[in-house]
Amino acid sequence: MVKKMLTADKLPALWSHLAGQGKLFLPVREGPTVLFKEWSEGFEVALDAPTSAVSPKDLFFPREETYMRYRCSGQAMELSAGEELESAIAFGVHPCDLKAIEMLDRVYLNQEPVDELYRERRAKTTVVALACIAPDPFCFCGDFGIDPVSAPGADLMASFDPRSGNLMLESQTPKGEDFLKGAASLLAEANGQSFELAAVKTADFGLDLEGFSESLKDRFEDPAWDKLYKSCLGCGVCTYVCPTCYCFDVEDYGHEMAGERFRCWDSCMYGHFTQMAGGHNPRPGRKERVRQRFLHKLQYYPETYGEIACVGCGRCLRSCPVNLDIVQAIKALGGEKDV
Amino acid sequence: MAERYLEELNKIRDAVKQDLLGGRIDLLLGWEKGHYWWQSRPLFATGEEDLEKLAWDSFCAVNLSRYLLDELRDYQKIGVLVKGCDSRAFNRLLQDNMVARERVVLYGLPCPGMLDYELLVAAAGSELEGIAEQNGKVVLKTASGEKTIERDQLLLYKCRDCLHPDPVVYDQLLLAPRGEKEAPERFKSVTELEEMPPDERYAYWEKELSRCLRCYACRQACPYCSCRECFVEQEQPRWQGRAYQASENFLFHLVRAYHGAGRCIDCGECQRACPVAIPLQELNRKLIKDINELYGQFEAGLNTELEPPLLTYKPDDPAAFSEK
Repeated sequence: MVKKMLTADKLPALWSHLAGQGKLFLPVREGPTVLFKEWSEGFEVALDAPTSAVSPKDLFFPREETYMRYRCSGQAMELSAGEELESAIAFGVHPCDLKAIEMLDRVYLNQEPVDELYRERRAKTTVVALACIAPDPFCFCGDFGIDPVSAPGADLMASFDPRSGNLMLESQTPKGEDFLKGAASLLAEANGQSFELAAVKTADFGLDLEGFSESLKDRFEDPAWDKLYKSCLGCGVCTYVCPTCYCFDVEDYGHEMAGERFRCWDSCMYGHFTQMAGGHNPRPGRKERVRQRFLHKLQYYPETYGEIACVGCGRCLRSCPVNLDIVQAIKALGGEKDV
Repeated sequence: MAERYLEELNKIRDAVKQDLLGGRIDLLLGWEKGHYWWQSRPLFATGEEDLEKLAWDSFCAVNLSRYLLDELRDYQKIGVLVKGCDSRAFNRLLQDNMVARERVVLYGLPCPGMLDYELLVAAAGSELEGIAEQNGKVVLKTASGEKTIERDQLLLYKCRDCLHPDPVVYDQLLLAPRGEKEAPERFKSVTELEEMPPDERYAYWEKELSRCLRCYACRQACPYCSCRECFVEQEQPRWQGRAYQASENFLFHLVRAYHGAGRCIDCGECQRACPVAIPLQELNRKLIKDINELYGQFEAGLNTELEPPLLTYKPDDPAAFSEK
């Protein structure tokens, strides 16, 4: 564990230094939204923002990823792999989002078969977590035991002082130490100091999750579902902004002479997700799809991996055009404290 | 304003309660409060208990007319609370033969324009605890005192250039009309975009659309997107690829916009629903502006007797495309 400080004036130099080491992804302001993007000169880096509009899961599980390409000439066909992955830095990942990435690890990394593309991206990426200083009213990571200012799984933990603009960086893994060594010329000694940041207050929706997952086992046919799904518009916002949604589809693109096979995010909120050849759809409507999505988070994932697949990042609360979010679902299914 | 809302809410509740309990309607589509005071979300009321949750305030932005598409399969007679834009959305669905007029009771609510929480927060400057409204002004209550701002400056983007706050179709008008409005700046952004050199304009849209997740929230919130099966989902032929490429994003948004040409009521639900703030309303407004200029002023959703210009043919239609 090595702790260093970076003064505000050195931030731009840090970004260009890091961008020279590999691909640098960080939260940037684009109009009214904050998104993780590959850094380039002139970006407004948002270290003081709440969680980004879309989770940074796409740094490890991209929206679209090529498996292989093919090209034919005459009778010969040439196959090639997708893209060559470079080393990358994910800078400014909030503790909730890192926790979510650890949930994806269980699915794609820590069980057979290992997802090779995911493994490679994980291995080649240095994760710099960022202590949360400005949670918005939708952040409720506290309900899932997440500390908004620490992320033990990250290679480094950063904290940003909005008053001085200084950054504190503390390594937590050998990768993190290498990071600090590489940037040594920009960094100053921390001399044991820490920023005195205001306590982070997250939302309290009065949830009671004790034994909640187990209580859902016999509630597949519960009448609560008949009411809950009604307002759902049937779009896929919740699944695409969610840090713990990890479904994808495999598609081919091209023609007989050249093309590629790729995977891309898919959403259980879409009809085609379960559409079968021959026309049958086991989840024919919004009710079945809403139920699937929430039970996956609240019952199926916990059954397999031991905890609820929600980190309280608040994105579904923020983005759903009709405010049908996971807190609504938990409450409708009885996961609320008795008042 | 809060008092006015309370008074209005009581009026609304009395009217719909009578109809719901009396059997004139089987379901009422209204709003209820969400987690916070700045959230009002759809309410599906079938009994007296549900009506206790009914809400009416400056955050009832969600257009409820669209829910008729599904709910008319389950309920014989449905009551809907409609603001100005919602009523034009209803006309859109009616003109597209998607709903049966006689199975819907429309309760008209002249609308003051809905507020944008993000703007309230930005204007407050410090932690926003609540608001009060009076005489066209909003009082922002923050940890460090109160701040008064003109209401017009805090409206949702979709409400800023509203022409018809009053419902244009209804069975009962429950509140006092507010009168037509002027919107001199409605096409300002479109004009700015038109004036850009083509490459610059392309770069603008490429950047804006690069954020698109293709979550289709814009489509699902839209009253002109009422197709049972969207071209996006069609497998044979496959029009829309699943790849997240600029070309696929352009394809989706441009085809959708053209599909709405002359049909879009400019309610702005698409833009409000977008999780990554793509200025979708400008795409639709560009087509509205073009149609106005080519075929004369036309407003979709105002009058169901008038065919949208692109769905009709007249021998004297301008042929601006072939003349060039």
